[in-house]
Amino acid sequence: MRVLYLFAFLASALVLFGEDASGPVITVRKGTSIVVETKEITGAGGPAALNVLKNDFQLSGALSAGDASTATIIVSGSATGSNFSAQATEKTGGVILQKTYAGDTRRAVHQFADELIETLTGQKGIALSKIGFVSDRTGHKEIYTCDYDGANVLQLTHDGAISVSPALSPDGRRLAYTGYQSGYADIYLIELPSGSRNRIIKFPGTNSGAAFSPDGGHIACTLSKDGNPEIYVTGLSGDSPRRLTHSRGVESSPTWSPNGSEIIYSSDEKGSPQLYRISSSGGAGRFLSTGYGYNTQPNWSPDGKRVAFNVRTGGGFQIATMDLDSGVTRIAIGEGENPCWGPDSRHIIFARGSGLYLFDTVTGKETRLVGDLGKISEPTWSR
Amino acid sequence: MKRTFSLVIVLALSLTACQKQQKQEYAGVEGDVVNGTPLPPRQEGVSFFSHNVAKGQFQPIYFAFDSFQISPSEAGKLRQIAGFLKSGRNNVILAGFADERGTLEYNRGLGERRAQAARDFLISLGVSSQRIQTVSFGQEMPADPGHNESAWAKNRRAETGVVK
Repeated sequence: MRVLYLFAFLASALVLFGEDASGPVITVRKGTSIVVETKEITGAGGPAALNVLKNDFQLSGALSAGDASTATIIVSGSATGSNFSAQATEKTGGVILQKTYAGDTRRAVHQFADELIETLTGQKGIALSKIGFVSDRTGHKEIYTCDYDGANVLQLTHDGAISVSPALSPDGRRLAYTGYQSGYADIYLIELPSGSRNRIIKFPGTNSGAAFSPDGGHIACTLSKDGNPEIYVTGLSGDSPRRLTHSRGVESSPTWSPNGSEIIYSSDEKGSPQLYRISSSGGAGRFLSTGYGYNTQPNWSPDGKRVAFNVRTGGGFQIATMDLDSGVTRIAIGEGENPCWGPDSRHIIFARGSGLYLFDTVTGKETRLVGDLGKISEPTWSR
Repeated sequence: MKRTFSLVIVLALSLTACQKQQKQEYAGVEGDVVNGTPLPPRQEGVSFFSHNVAKGQFQPIYFAFDSFQISPSEAGKLRQIAGFLKSGRNNVILAGFADERGTLEYNRGLGERRAQAARDFLISLGVSSQRIQTVSFGQEMPADPGHNESAWAKNRRAETGVVK
């Protein structure tokens, strides 16, 4: 096995750097995808696994489906139900990745897809990530979770009140949300493996909009206990709240930089909601000019380069992205709310009406992940 | 212009309410002075939905689009509430709401800010800050489920719940 891994590593290195003189040179450029021929997956679980795998490749945007004449990578495997084995080879025969996974086949396929994408592109895959969202399907707003491809939808809360503003921890193992079952807006924390739940932030007034720090150890949120909605940072049990903002306006929707040192949030202190950037240890908020009059729901990409947010023009909501280095803002999605970046800093999920959508910022492709669940809102994505 | 006017009103109110807070009008100004009056602890067993809270005793206070300014037409309603509070011993919960034309989390903040603006006004009229709790429901529970200006105008509001 060790020899195999070494070979796989060498092969992938050759693929990445295009220095294999004998084989095809695979150049990975932004906006182009690697063409993969996905051959048969044998075994009882084969057909189902094949569908999941093809969908993973397609949704990644980094790979696309092709046949023997166009593909540079060939994937095949077997799924017995308890084991999933797969290998990716170059057309010339060199093995890029070959692995066997035990356990749930769907999860194993996602893992293989992520590993192959990371090997080929150096980018983190999204196939193993989790999504949370709000649906009013039961007549009450409740929190739901699903896989990144919309599979395995699970109703997480049964509060029968108003349960909103979910936030998955970066590792996907915890979910914080705003619940009204006390008659007030409080922040609850659910441990996803066990389902155990605690009301962690219950100060007087309204407590909402939790966002986990990248290390998962802190929560940024909006609290009004001091007589005005302001941004605070607390521990995971709501302990030692530290106030970051001081304005007479409405502060909302904090989102963390990848290293946790900064927070971007929305504030209407200038008369309409605008974006600001502040050190997570305090200080002055710095205005981020977007050119739009209404800017809410900022979400910082995991690579730190961009922030996605809602703007409102012409009565509807658009999703914009700002490049933080250049300050250039552009409209990415013509209609949608509550953008949230995925682990690859390439895809955004958002809500529109009764749908939860996946958007590829490189290709502009949009895929509906969940529908037929009533009105969907406020998606969150693990990293 | 509207916002400038609103800022002036708010400034005037905050100066009346608390002279120490005049330097805390802009985001990011450091210091421990809060530019609002802290809320009292919640009363056990009391919320906007509990049976011991009477709703509808006072008219809702309405707000302009994306604004938390108390307009002159609404100030009279708050004076009435202040009169009631000063002549009795009840506490109140002010619940803030927004219309559907905003994003959800921002509207939770806006609803809270509306409830707090009504609270600040009552405090400026001499009501103890300890007697007024707030909550925001954002754009949930609209008073009018319609999708037009007349419905939206009814939904941008603060309601008063009187603790019996």
